Amino acid sequence: MLRVEDLHKSFDEFKAVNGAHLTVEKGQLVAVIGPNGAGKTTLFNLITGQLQPDNGTVLLNDEDISRLPPHVICRKGIARSFQIANVFHRLSVFRNVQISVLSQRKLSNKLFQPAARLVVDETHRILESVGLLDRKMDVAGSLSHGDKRILEIAIALGNEPKLLILDEPTAGMSPEETTTTMALIQRLAQEEGLTILFCEHDMEVVFGTAQSIMVMQQGHSIIQDEPEIVRQNTEVQQAYLGDE
Amino acid sequence: MEGGQEITIAALSSTFLVGLSRAMILFVVTAGLSFVLGVLRVPNVAHGSLYMIGAFAAYSISTFFGGGSIGFWLALVFAPLVVALVSLIAERSLFCHLYQREHLMLLLFTFALMLILGDLTKIVWGAEYRSVMAPAFLQGSISVFGSPFPRYNLFLLVIGPLVAIGLWLFSTKTKMGKIARAAAVDMEMVGAIGINVSWVFAFAFVLGCLLAGLGGALVSPTISVTIGMDHNIIIEAFLIVTIGGLGNMWGALVGSLIFGITQAFGVLLLPQFAIVFPYLAVVIVLTLKPTGMLKSVW
Amino acid sequence: MFSEMIRKKAFGISLAIFVILLLAPSFLSRFYIYFLAVIFVTALLAMSLNLCVGHGMLFQFHHGVFYGVGAYSSGLLLAKTALPWWMAFSAGPLAAALAGLLIGIFCIRLNRLYFGMLQISLGSLIWAIAFRWYDLTGGDDGIHGIPIPDFIASTTSSYYFVLIVLGICVALMYLILKSPFGSTLQAIRDNPERCAAVGIHVRRHQLKAIVIATFFGGIAGVLFVVVEGSIFPDLLFWVLSLEIFIMCLLGGWFTFAGPMLGAAIIVSLRTFVGTYTEYWTLILGVILILLIFFLPEGIMGYNYRRLLRSRSKYTSESPVE
Repeated sequence: MLRVEDLHKSFDEFKAVNGAHLTVEKGQLVAVIGPNGAGKTTLFNLITGQLQPDNGTVLLNDEDISRLPPHVICRKGIARSFQIANVFHRLSVFRNVQISVLSQRKLSNKLFQPAARLVVDETHRILESVGLLDRKMDVAGSLSHGDKRILEIAIALGNEPKLLILDEPTAGMSPEETTTTMALIQRLAQEEGLTILFCEHDMEVVFGTAQSIMVMQQGHSIIQDEPEIVRQNTEVQQAYLGDE
Repeated sequence: MEGGQEITIAALSSTFLVGLSRAMILFVVTAGLSFVLGVLRVPNVAHGSLYMIGAFAAYSISTFFGGGSIGFWLALVFAPLVVALVSLIAERSLFCHLYQREHLMLLLFTFALMLILGDLTKIVWGAEYRSVMAPAFLQGSISVFGSPFPRYNLFLLVIGPLVAIGLWLFSTKTKMGKIARAAAVDMEMVGAIGINVSWVFAFAFVLGCLLAGLGGALVSPTISVTIGMDHNIIIEAFLIVTIGGLGNMWGALVGSLIFGITQAFGVLLLPQFAIVFPYLAVVIVLTLKPTGMLKSVW
Repeated sequence: MFSEMIRKKAFGISLAIFVILLLAPSFLSRFYIYFLAVIFVTALLAMSLNLCVGHGMLFQFHHGVFYGVGAYSSGLLLAKTALPWWMAFSAGPLAAALAGLLIGIFCIRLNRLYFGMLQISLGSLIWAIAFRWYDLTGGDDGIHGIPIPDFIASTTSSYYFVLIVLGICVALMYLILKSPFGSTLQAIRDNPERCAAVGIHVRRHQLKAIVIATFFGGIAGVLFVVVEGSIFPDLLFWVLSLEIFIMCLLGGWFTFAGPMLGAAIIVSLRTFVGTYTEYWTLILGVILILLIFFLPEGIMGYNYRRLLRSRSKYTSESPVE
């Protein structure tokens, strides 16, 4: 479904991404891991259009999306959540998710219909599936950090994505929150049939859930394979010496 | 062609030189604006007001010392300092408390400062036109390609590059200059290595305003000093800084040249609507290069 | 529900105010009727600006241009041509929206800072042209004694006309803000990057908001002509735009009706202060400084937060970054 080939991106002298490769098959749960500064977020930004690559290609179902802007890439079926809680902090939880549902249904430009009556059921459904329905009237800015991350995911779900990209979904979460969130992600993959790509640097989290793992170090991909094989790989073990 | 002079070589070269000298003043002013923009990331809307205060201060100082040559040189030295003092007071008493707030608040503060300084100027100096006399040896004109060219403009053509060189030396060779440049690129880094960011801001702001005051003092013998100067100059300065590249001093120079010269030719070709020419140039530049001709500092 | 309660209360209060205003001419002197009409026009102008600023976070620093374009278009057509009044009136908002579109297309491609600065400068060009084109626009003097259709020529009838138009426009703006378009605009205000990531073409949406806002600004310009019967370049002058901006801030730029409150206060202050001193600009600047330091969300914004806090549904997390 998604294929990243030999991607490069530099900022002045600094090579943030230096030869990244990634393959995501439909229906898979794929993880990208690597130490801090390995380039994971930059890679995601390159895939979803916030950044343009210097070299290399990003292919979605064999279509080249390397240079498209974010809103066009979203229309092609990719939705993402961000590493730093990136919600609409002045709006209610309900409206946060409703924005993306409206966008997906191409209703964002309706001028004279009250928004409160549109796509209510779909929005409620998404909120319920992530467990935020009882908090729907709260102002997003007042949520706890963990709940904001979950709201992130809910907003992304509003786009009815075929591929969901999550940037460090459990960053800053307590152990219980992490378990709940990972359970949620797995449930989404199974029940909704979503293809999910996420990055993490908590090893336990990843090895328990992902079907395929890509390891990054200093901007390039070391290996991508099933968890067990990755775990045995000597290069990976060396990369993580002193980091675990 | 309606109005204006005949299009002769004399007229063309004279126009070009007039535009060039006007560009020098524009440069001095916009360099200051650019500098503040680069370090504080905020366009100082009150920059024009400080330019106007510089002109009025030059008037007062030169009149105080008899209005002759000595008066002018003293004004040229002290008017910018007066302006720097005014800006320092505004900065230390009010502006610096806003550094933690979002940029819109800083911008709005400069708006408020413009409003207040504008009326304060009216209160102190009144609404009549004032004039400043250039020193004797800079009065009158010389002949260039058969057309009279004011001597004072020659003086400006010398001062402009001097200021440019001075600024360049300052920002590349002195410690303060290098810190300011680093701060423009990465404020957090500068703070992280122990430099007091608030003082860097204060310094940048005052230096920028001093340049505005210098511009005002330099322009005072060439025009009638009056209320409303602030609006005219800030509108031009915004345009110049935008086409030059935000925060870039050399961009300010390039923008000033484009603006000054097209404006002069506008006066030659279409005097009633001369103002349209530089705007046209701006529109063309921004259509081709939306972020300005030179690289923005950020 | 809490917000339901507030909404019902607000609606009730607005209705009461509207009724009072409808009855006002029967017990006010002619000067005060005129004065209220001026407030209405300014209130509409401030509301139109706030569509951009408070709900879209677009630094529309020279909104006055569109006010002036609306006034000049309709005023000139009324004064210099034999076109029917409804044509001249329609030309106002249409011309303003066109100007908004053109200037907007130019400025929207740049980031927020450029946008504001460039708008000031481009708008000033229009002011300069109006100022100098004596034959067409009357230059510095402007044009006075514009023929207004009889049925709205008197003070009282123009008052009602302006009040009704204001009411309709405010209702329309309310609908627009409550629509998906308005909701999305506010989302763009809070987080344009996130909006792009959910598939919204941010720049296009902002441009549409600008056109709508300038359209209403143009209507305000037409109303100005109805009330004053003249046009002059001051309408296009930059400081007026700043004044409108301050009205939005003062009243509460993240609230719906805040700008109207701000307009009422500033116009009243300006009229009142004007009898004592000519240094209104200085006072305006001081007001702005006080707002920045002590009341950044405006009066209604502050009230709203106090209400919320008393309900303890809100943590100490500030919605203003």
